[in-house]
Amino acid sequence: MRLADARALLPDLVTIAGEPQADCRLVEAIAGWCDRYTPWVAIDPLGGALAAEGETTCSAGGFGGDAGLLLDVTGCTHLFGEGESGERALLADLVARLTRRDLSCRAAMADTAGAAWALARFAERQADLFCPARGQRSAIASLPVEGLRLEAPILETFLKLGLRRIGDLYPMPRAPLVRRFGNQPLERVDQALGRLDEPIEPRRVPPAFRTRLAFAEPIGRSEDIAAATSRLLAALCRQFEQAGVGARLLEIALYRVDGSVDRTSIGTSRPNRDNPKLMKLFEEKLGELDPGFGVELMILAAPEVEAWSGTQDALPDQDSPTVASGTDGTIDLADRLALRLGAENVVRLLSRDSHLPERVQVAAAISSKPAAAGAWRRVANLKGARPTRLLQRPEPVEVTAFVPDDPPSVFRWRRHAHRIVRADGPERIADEWWRPRPDGSRPPASTLPPVRDYYRVEDDDGGRFWLFRDGPYKLAANGQPTARWFLHGFCA
Amino acid sequence: MPVIFPSAFASPASRAANDPAASVPAALREKVRRLERANSVQRSGRAVAVPLGVPAIDALLPEGGLLTGALHEIEAGPAPSGRVASHDGAALGFAAHLLGRFGPGTILWCRRPTGTFDAAPYAPALSAWFDPARLLMVTASRDEDLFWAMEEGLRCPGIAAVLGETRATDPTAGRRLSLAAEKNGVPALLLRAQPAPPQSVCATRWRIVSAPSASTPGLRDVGTARWRLELRRNRFGTPSAAETPSWLVEWNDETHCLAVVPQTLHGSSGTLFEERLVG
Repeated sequence: MRLADARALLPDLVTIAGEPQADCRLVEAIAGWCDRYTPWVAIDPLGGALAAEGETTCSAGGFGGDAGLLLDVTGCTHLFGEGESGERALLADLVARLTRRDLSCRAAMADTAGAAWALARFAERQADLFCPARGQRSAIASLPVEGLRLEAPILETFLKLGLRRIGDLYPMPRAPLVRRFGNQPLERVDQALGRLDEPIEPRRVPPAFRTRLAFAEPIGRSEDIAAATSRLLAALCRQFEQAGVGARLLEIALYRVDGSVDRTSIGTSRPNRDNPKLMKLFEEKLGELDPGFGVELMILAAPEVEAWSGTQDALPDQDSPTVASGTDGTIDLADRLALRLGAENVVRLLSRDSHLPERVQVAAAISSKPAAAGAWRRVANLKGARPTRLLQRPEPVEVTAFVPDDPPSVFRWRRHAHRIVRADGPERIADEWWRPRPDGSRPPASTLPPVRDYYRVEDDDGGRFWLFRDGPYKLAANGQPTARWFLHGFCA
Repeated sequence: MPVIFPSAFASPASRAANDPAASVPAALREKVRRLERANSVQRSGRAVAVPLGVPAIDALLPEGGLLTGALHEIEAGPAPSGRVASHDGAALGFAAHLLGRFGPGTILWCRRPTGTFDAAPYAPALSAWFDPARLLMVTASRDEDLFWAMEEGLRCPGIAAVLGETRATDPTAGRRLSLAAEKNGVPALLLRAQPAPPQSVCATRWRIVSAPSASTPGLRDVGTARWRLELRRNRFGTPSAAETPSWLVEWNDETHCLAVVPQTLHGSSGTLFEERLVG
């Protein structure tokens, strides 16, 4: 029914615009909150809230209220009690906590995701919501076939044929069913009954290394949070030591009393399990965390770990190879700087075998392999005099030369004229024909590669510059020289 | 009967004290100066000062060289014609020369890039002074971050020297850097592309101006780099006869050393006449 028709029938109808995006965010937030029960939380892919607009949804499709979450609580229920009572307690606790936040929900527990899905949506009595172990066959037999998560056309045909209950499908011969409806109906039945495995894809892959700390009373002071982080870190570092790994990425999550979660992470350039050093990195970040009205649970996890090499390499030092590696703290300093300034802003310089001046020097992350000893000396020995500063982008200059092929006598750069007194050059540097061009194409083999002629010049003030002429001197058809001049660097 | 002079029984110390030639104030001053810096020297176990390699300049500096636990400022001065220096390539060369003379370890180089017109230090040229693999390059987008990174670097035991390229003159940051350098015995250098107002607490302040080089006779080629060095501030050093001592030095890129270019006044106009290079 359209909104206009509905309003015609009922003029004082209250309407509220649907907000699928907000629904999505809410479901995401609830899923994040559910991490308190199990790390294995998935957003139900068939839930209406997440289906894109216009896309055909399955039997239970729709927006908002139909969204669902799948929690794999295997191995988590013992925290609430032994055996079945623990499972019941977990379910009751989940419903109670959500209800307290004014979220209406129906939660069911069963051995399989399919059975739990059907029960949560179609169980008629409250007692049916909990399905005891291996009881799913009888528990879902009386539920409508909508509970099988079937596609709309198959569902319609089932209803026309009078197959209304899931139990109606149990005695049916399998082969004709498959021939008529394809694999889906039987696959769903098998999944619901546990004959077929149905893995849940978690929203966030639970890290192998995690520690948690729950508080009896919510905490909010930054000192308390720092102290709790320190305790979590100590426990995690012990886990690392037992497993022989070090952390590359650590993530801390604060579960606040209002149900929201605040996360922050730190990265290290080497596998690290040094408690004080990691704590120092965390201290930079803890200020960004907002405890809100209080934090009731903190989880520290290491999503990325690497085998621990035992030592940390210092930056290579040719003059004194005896410098004790790892003890000088350079890597830790780099980590600390990278955390505040961004990893791309803390780099070391590697040399690259190239003729082009701008390609010789490469900025590389600290975690990358250090340059081979003496690599720079080799590069420097190959080249002529080089500028101490290289312009990121060569700047065009206007030049005047007495003889076309000579070094210029005057050049104008940034509206200042520089009279050239001394000049060295040219040093011809050709393009590297073996390297693809920036657009990916290769220059044809027959053409001459573009060349640059570099000159080192000194002006009457004693300033030394590095100029180049883009290509050899030639005259265009209109008598103007084709080559352009650029300033590329400043010499010492 | 032999005559015994009382001074024969006196200890060598009191004998020195009695000696009118030994100037007590100078010795005391020296002692106080050493006490002031004893903390930094003992803690780091490094050399107190590193000579520049130019005897004429080192003679003026305290302990015969640049103090390692101190802040030093290097600025590019205006050209001799009075024009604003078009670039600080020479100042960067001098800074690199200093960095190469400080002890082994990582060199922390902090800078604020200036966007499209940025001219970054170029490692192939720096390799004349030190191995660029030792460099840890840090780029900050704010001056506060830059000073913070420098201070963190000064506290790190593996860092040989810290250099910051900035135009900002923050007296508080300068004092903090100076204190951190003194405490850890790690030298801090500030490289300025333009002269800054003299207010910071640096131990030495240098002004570097690129000077015309000497061509091969009969040719117009660019010779080895020459700089005019001005020592505009020398906090613990020996006072010099000139108000701001200044030298014309040449960087020999083959022997890798700095040397003062001997010069004589030629004619009444005072133009510089350069003779052959000695030493």
